[in-house]
Amino acid sequence: MSAVDKAVPRRDARSISEIVNDERFRSIFYQIIVAVAVIWTAQYLITNTAENLQARGMSTGFEFLSSTAGFSIAWSIIDYEAGDTYFHVYLVGIANTLIVSFFAIIATTLLGFVVGVMRLSSNFVVAQIASAYVEVMRNVPLLLHILFWFTLSSALPSPKQSLGWLDSFFLNNRGLYVPAPVPGDGFDIVIIMVLIGIAVAYGVTVWATKRQMATGQRFPAFWTGVGLVVGLPLLAFFALGAPLTFDYPALKGFNFQGGADVPRAFCALLFALVLYHTVFMAEAVRAGILSVSHGQTEASYSLGLKPSWTLRLVVIPQAMRAVVPPMISNWMNVVKNSSLAIAIGYPDLVAVFMQTSLNQSGHAIEIVAMVMLFYMTVSLTISAALNYYNKLVQIKER
Amino acid sequence: MTDATQSDTAFRPKPSLPPPANTVGVVGWLRKNLFGGPIDTILTLLGVYLLYLIVQFAVEYGIINAVWTADTYRECLDINLGEGACWAGIGAWFNSMMYGRYPDEEQWRVNLGGIILLLWLIPFWLPKVTGKIQVGMSAVLTFPFLAASMFIGGDTGIFLHVMASIALTLFVAVWLHVAACYVLGRSLPELLISITGFTDKDDRLHKYVLLGAFAVGFVIALIYHMSWDLVEVQTTIWGGLFLTLVISGIGIASALPNGILLALGRRSKMPVIRVFCTSFIELFRSVPLITILFMAVTMMPLFLPVEFNPPKLAMVIVAVCIFAAAYMAETVRGGLQAVNKGQYEAAQSMGLSFWKMMALIVMPQALKLMIPNIVGSFMGLMKDTTLVSIIGLYDILLMGKAAGQNPSWLGFHTEPLLFTASIFFVLCFAMSKYSQHLERTIGGGYGRR
Repeated sequence: MSAVDKAVPRRDARSISEIVNDERFRSIFYQIIVAVAVIWTAQYLITNTAENLQARGMSTGFEFLSSTAGFSIAWSIIDYEAGDTYFHVYLVGIANTLIVSFFAIIATTLLGFVVGVMRLSSNFVVAQIASAYVEVMRNVPLLLHILFWFTLSSALPSPKQSLGWLDSFFLNNRGLYVPAPVPGDGFDIVIIMVLIGIAVAYGVTVWATKRQMATGQRFPAFWTGVGLVVGLPLLAFFALGAPLTFDYPALKGFNFQGGADVPRAFCALLFALVLYHTVFMAEAVRAGILSVSHGQTEASYSLGLKPSWTLRLVVIPQAMRAVVPPMISNWMNVVKNSSLAIAIGYPDLVAVFMQTSLNQSGHAIEIVAMVMLFYMTVSLTISAALNYYNKLVQIKER
Repeated sequence: MTDATQSDTAFRPKPSLPPPANTVGVVGWLRKNLFGGPIDTILTLLGVYLLYLIVQFAVEYGIINAVWTADTYRECLDINLGEGACWAGIGAWFNSMMYGRYPDEEQWRVNLGGIILLLWLIPFWLPKVTGKIQVGMSAVLTFPFLAASMFIGGDTGIFLHVMASIALTLFVAVWLHVAACYVLGRSLPELLISITGFTDKDDRLHKYVLLGAFAVGFVIALIYHMSWDLVEVQTTIWGGLFLTLVISGIGIASALPNGILLALGRRSKMPVIRVFCTSFIELFRSVPLITILFMAVTMMPLFLPVEFNPPKLAMVIVAVCIFAAAYMAETVRGGLQAVNKGQYEAAQSMGLSFWKMMALIVMPQALKLMIPNIVGSFMGLMKDTTLVSIIGLYDILLMGKAAGQNPSWLGFHTEPLLFTASIFFVLCFAMSKYSQHLERTIGGGYGRR
């Protein structure tokens, strides 16, 4: 027994080199150094900031949010008047950012699929045109695209000579004028019907999948769903006597009255965002389709699946695994890049809040933090959804 | 007898028939790629028509109706009624769009700096040169100081004197090394050791020879650098493409080392370091660059001591470096994840330390895999540099805008944008082609079939 005791080295007898070379000791040591450095830097910055603020006689805190902003905003999707508060300006900025991003994302996704497939086309001319588009667009900075289209759009005709379409859409050097929908009595019932349709269609899909798993019998769940989502609201719409009218824009004096208008800056920004980001979507689609090996198609054919089923059940699900992550990060970039609106005076979040409000109120720290908070919320939400999707479709490996 | 019958009855294939005439040659190519069916034919014709329209417009706008000599924008409009480009304006503003308001008689400094950088990087493309990593590192780590002391000029202070002299010494050493490799077929260190007769001595003594040679070179360079008498050019009047390249160059050079450190930190087993790196990366990746730039110019003065007032350019460069590092970190992390786990395990079982494992085994594989993405983020950074025009730095974009606001060039907007776009196109297109070339030559071998 005593011999064994002697053979085991005792803990307190370790030499200094043993301690220094111990991985656990080193790990704790490094972490303490980093923590101390971070805390010290933060403390240094905070002290400086406090001194600076005092020297300049500036106050801190979020009270300014409830004071009157006192400037007007060129265009906003939600109501805004010059007497509203800074917090309302923040909300206007967010709404303006989100609305342009929303349209840009939809158009980018659709156009990206088209261009991506075009690049893979067996038709030489089509493929080359798509490649040229991709190369030209992606090698030029987005800001340049935005400025370029904004400059060009100033050459559009004046309101009197507007480019019209169907006497209801007008494009001129002030912006785009479209008919505005005016919901009548009972239109909310139609909206409720859409929601009911979606819920029922979801239930039918779940039921059909279960039944197919159990019995092998198929049920046209997709077309039933389309019928429910489109048909129910349409039925309600006509049963209620079509409670929706449109307010058409019309030329009165020097400008258009009525309808809904979007400013020229919005159009130029949207156009440039779509042109630029379509490229990245197209590249994602192309890479996704190429990532599905031809063996998969052949295997599917040899199992006797029709070409349409092969595409739908074998190729697309596998391609989506490679398409979706870059597609979603592209969406995220659209939201972030819509901040370049500031260069052409579209009142997005950065322009109205980080520039105008910051210059007027001087609350740099609070405003920068609030703007960053918004963008971080958007990106982190999207990336959380993306991580969930990735887990779902991942090929399980070691 | 048996042999003869066997050879007579053996299967002897007839020569293959030639393929049908309409599937080979020009006709076959046309049928396959352009006129495969009715829809294909329509698409082809539509595409050709579209191309015709674009080319026709480009030729008319850019060449036939273009004005090449004029003194004001009004003159241009009088000649072509706005139907064509006014390239005369580009000629008039070319110098501003390249150098900003950098004084004409001092612009040779910028050009010389650019030439030195190019010469420093040429050895990369020379096949016989050894030690390319050291050559590259010497350029990335010391050239910025040399450039700063050249471009700013004036009284640079002792720190810049020392760093710029180190850079000069290394630059001369790199080209002596290239000469030694090509003329004698030996590297510069070997040559120095054999000249001084240390070849037979203990290996450990060799580094003293090199250090001594470096010290001699450094002293000469320092005396030479001290004798420079350059007029000071404030960073506030830097501008044009020069400014764009300075900002993006520093961003690109700093992105890879910082990105590697952040990526390693994010994958570290130490919770404090991991949390710090992850939050740093996520914070700066999730906000647009323009907000980081605004933060830099509005908040950084508050963060620094009252008496300290850095130039705007410095704050912008810091912001760009932070942004670039956060993006590069995610690219590098992707590469690290793509390296097979077995490689880490094998390196550890060979007894390599963490840093040796990373430097010798993991990073070379990870970075090779990530070449397209790394070059992609370099390109992205270069394009994003144009955002500094929004916060009022006169880069090439804002200089072009300023041209259109000049009284005699009022309304001259489209041509500077087209010119800037073509410069970016050339730079970025060259980068992407080079990355494809790199991918083919060194990217293969691992993880590809």
